[in-house]
Amino acid sequence: MAVYKRNYTAYTGQVTSPSARVLVLARYAFAEAWSSKITVGLFIFCLVPCLISLFGIYLANNPMARALVGAGGSQMIAVDARFFLKILQGQCWLALFLASWIAPRLISFDLSDNALPILLSHPISRVGYLTGKFIALFTCLSAVTWVPCLLLFVYQGYTSPQPWMAANLRIAAGLLAGTVIWITLLSFLGLALSSWVKWRAVATGIIFAAVFVPAGVGAIVSAVLRTKWGYLLNLPLTMETLWRRLLGVQYEMNPMLSLPTGAIVASLVFICIVCLGMLDKRIRAREVVRG
Amino acid sequence: MGIIDLNGLEVRLANRVVLNGLTGELQGNAIGLLGPNGAGKSTLINTLLGFHLPFAGTARVFGLDSHRDRAEIRGKIGYMPENDSFIGNMSGVRFVRYMAELAGLPSEVALERAHEALFYVGLGEVRYRKVNTYSLGMKQLVKLAQALAHGPRLLILDEPTNGLDPVARQRMIQLIKDIRKEGSIRLLISSHLLRDIDETCDEVLILKGGRIAALCNIEAERRSNRSFVELETVGATERFSVSIRGLGCEVATFPGGRIKLVIPDNIEARDLYVIASEQGVQIRRMNQRRDSLEDIFLRAMDNQMEGVGHGRL
Repeated sequence: MAVYKRNYTAYTGQVTSPSARVLVLARYAFAEAWSSKITVGLFIFCLVPCLISLFGIYLANNPMARALVGAGGSQMIAVDARFFLKILQGQCWLALFLASWIAPRLISFDLSDNALPILLSHPISRVGYLTGKFIALFTCLSAVTWVPCLLLFVYQGYTSPQPWMAANLRIAAGLLAGTVIWITLLSFLGLALSSWVKWRAVATGIIFAAVFVPAGVGAIVSAVLRTKWGYLLNLPLTMETLWRRLLGVQYEMNPMLSLPTGAIVASLVFICIVCLGMLDKRIRAREVVRG
Repeated sequence: MGIIDLNGLEVRLANRVVLNGLTGELQGNAIGLLGPNGAGKSTLINTLLGFHLPFAGTARVFGLDSHRDRAEIRGKIGYMPENDSFIGNMSGVRFVRYMAELAGLPSEVALERAHEALFYVGLGEVRYRKVNTYSLGMKQLVKLAQALAHGPRLLILDEPTNGLDPVARQRMIQLIKDIRKEGSIRLLISSHLLRDIDETCDEVLILKGGRIAALCNIEAERRSNRSFVELETVGATERFSVSIRGLGCEVATFPGGRIKLVIPDNIEARDLYVIASEQGVQIRRMNQRRDSLEDIFLRAMDNQMEGVGHGRL
């Protein structure tokens, strides 16, 4: 079908594998996410704490640099599990901002323009469609969470005068597990909520609300029923607890707020299942009118 | 084996029977899907695309089961949905390329064919504009372009002329005719406009109330049905009627020299003029008509009312 001929001919060449088509979806979703200057701005903003931490590690391991900034020979910063916990917490909460901006861009455009019938009429399943979108969002969030965290860990291992890395591998594992759990949850939550709201601005607000409003509800439930299980609805608290335990940071906590790790994991899995249920209801080529 | 084989296909949505025991074999180059609103046309298309799971029976496309082999079927199909369905903030060429890549074309090939498809449907000059800035007619054409770009074996067009002005409609019909003429692609066109189907299709499946009211080859159906002729004559009408009855025509005479007759296939209008000339009868007016698709459609509706569930007319 050469342009100048303006005539139709069938395609007889090779076709790509089904898995490659999931990556096509991911590639276009990724491009859509990064087509906005706000995404670029948010991404840079999310990396600022990492740059500050990088400078902190440099100072902690370089007496000459400390002298230059006037700190003499004192140990300004202790680069340990607590230090990385703070980085982890900062990056994870910044990732929430990025997720709440990007996730609606990946789904809402398709829904507001009713693109699903056309998209799903191609050899791609609903699972494939969601996997493609998930990969794009997960990759974006990875770039501000576990990737910079692990790079900082490696840099600390490289600059530390003592053998540090091998003795602190648990921190690396904790960083990886903690961030991956969080961004997986954010990705499911972001996609599920965006699929139910056509307006992107509203979807962004709802993603924030979904994280913080249940925390208030959970506190009320716990206070009224005099139980600690209401705090399972408090996502900031449960994630904070999980991150501390993953990195092995010792801390003293009000026994009322101390939740078993198993219960926390179960609540996170439950949230993911609810999100998948929401996506299953919404991501369809056709709406079936009831009644 | 036809392009589409239906075997007792029953589809239920929200516990309501939408398609009820469809059985038939569609094998035309361009198949029209006709029926009043709510007849089940779009549901049948969605079932063929694997969007709905049959409650009973099967639907096969190119011999593949519509639900079990839906991914393979979708690779062979280009689908143009009835309603607006696109990604508005993408340019036309990017949108068509995206769809072609999803259909399995490598990225560079998809880009090349996206350009070609857009030129083919007449959107070459606006292919870099965002789709949400297109007019209604252009949106219909960009949907057709994305359905064509990956070179499908079967093109499913759901109400392709919906909302188009007469010029745009004519252009769309011409495009469909061109695609049909090219020959490498089969067409399934759903419409409630008889004229669209009449102009583009050689086979028609008529649905009513979720059942097949008729499934027939349009041209064969026209040929098999008798031709009706109305005459206005002056002269010895009675004798003339007897003579043409002798040719094998069914004749009914009316006051004022009006004659209505059904002529068999081997008799032509010229034969009537010859007899009239021999008997000194003047034929002042002759009105000859064959069955239109409208006749076929109306007859199918009547037949269905009388309880014809499925099958050929």
